[in-house]
Amino acid sequence: MSRITIPIGPQHPALKEPLSFLLTVEGERIVESALRIGYVHRGLERLFQDRSYVQNVHIAERVCGICSHIHTTAYCQGVEALLGLEVPRRALYVRTLLCELERIHSHLLWLGVLAEHIGFTTVFMYAWRDREIVLDIMEDLSGGRVAHAVNAIGGVRIDIENDHIPAIHARLDELERQMEMFLGVIQHERTFQARTRGVGCLTQEQVQRYCVVGPVARASGVAMDIRRDQPYAVYDELSFRVITADEGDVWARTMVRALEIVESMGMCRQLLDKLPEGPLASRAPRRVPAGLVISRCEAPRGELLYVIRSDGSDRPARVKIRTPTLPTLATLKDQLRGVHTADVPTILAGVDLCIACADR
Amino acid sequence: MNVELLLQALREVLSAPSLDAEYLPIDETCIAVPAECLRRAVDVLVGRFRVTHLSTITAEDTGLEIVLLYHFWDRRGLTLRTSLPRDGPHIASLARIIPGAIFYEQEVAEMLGVVFDGHPVAASLLLPDDWEGPPPLRRPTGDDV
Repeated sequence: MSRITIPIGPQHPALKEPLSFLLTVEGERIVESALRIGYVHRGLERLFQDRSYVQNVHIAERVCGICSHIHTTAYCQGVEALLGLEVPRRALYVRTLLCELERIHSHLLWLGVLAEHIGFTTVFMYAWRDREIVLDIMEDLSGGRVAHAVNAIGGVRIDIENDHIPAIHARLDELERQMEMFLGVIQHERTFQARTRGVGCLTQEQVQRYCVVGPVARASGVAMDIRRDQPYAVYDELSFRVITADEGDVWARTMVRALEIVESMGMCRQLLDKLPEGPLASRAPRRVPAGLVISRCEAPRGELLYVIRSDGSDRPARVKIRTPTLPTLATLKDQLRGVHTADVPTILAGVDLCIACADR
Repeated sequence: MNVELLLQALREVLSAPSLDAEYLPIDETCIAVPAECLRRAVDVLVGRFRVTHLSTITAEDTGLEIVLLYHFWDRRGLTLRTSLPRDGPHIASLARIIPGAIFYEQEVAEMLGVVFDGHPVAASLLLPDDWEGPPPLRRPTGDDV
């Protein structure tokens, strides 16, 4: 059978962000694929070197348009470690609360994107409607739906009023009811199963070879979660489960993310119930002592890494960002080999790519 | 991962009795190894200690040398630090031991002009195909300033 090469992207209706694939097909089967990223590379790591530590909080916020808060968390946590600065506990609680709300919003957004790709428009509409619940909570807290500007070096910039807490609980109740519906659809709906079961499989061994992180790794049985394994902020004071699955396909990734939303809601409730009194920030000096720090956080897509080297001045000598999407991208060649062309959108959606993050 | 046992193994395999660990904030250990020994050090990490997760590779041009930091993770961080000369820097690729290193090495290659011997991909990762000029994260020196 003759081979045909099909270019997909960098601009394509099936792609949410610019990346480019060259798919070589024999009939309906993919035999080879080549991937190219970099279309939204903005030179952010270089930009960090030209801005002060305080200005860089705003750059970190803009690395990603979905998980902006976790980027500032990783960055601020790194700078605070270099400064030897103790962050007030109330600030860490607020910081962690936003991290978990952001995870819920990111996972719901993803669920909608996946549903749309498999042609399940109803779930797409419901997921994005219910994502508004958590966006409303975040907007009420910070004034921003996705860019929150909550983190500062030494603490946070917002407070949570005590009389606001019951309203957040009420909204979480509403979302909890909706999650029961989504879990029912994922587990029992035939269309959903037919399009996601056995698609985009990754074995535990493949995940480890490519150093994959986050829900994609956990759905293949690799129980790695920075929140549990190397707790930061106040994760050591919370009780939660690390969700894993063994199947390693798109269905398993969906289950892992859906159950993670449920876990995150539980964590939000614990954080609100245990919110300690106290100040919201420690005063941070402008100059940072010379040193090197590697700051890790669990972003919605997995391990996020900020490496910061200070030369003792008021701006960093080097900031390196490794977002969780980059290792996941390396697995696509394996995932696409031999699959039906109709499964390509499902596989691409299934790994939850964030290209702007990966390109920086 | 037991840092003391790892240090012992590395000292033995690399015949470097003076090899020592530096402790960084947020539970991170950093071990400096000579560039020519890096691959053997990684063999020890992966083969004997089952530390297979390479989080990323950070490269920095300090103006005097190019520093490479290989960030591993096994419920705590372990960084292998090595340095290369600014003129014609090259080092062995880890792609065969850790396929996840392919993208990280590609990025370091295009951003700082480091050559990874034995790397399977020649294309750039982030920069445009028609990019001209020095690697963008190199510090300007001498005539460039």
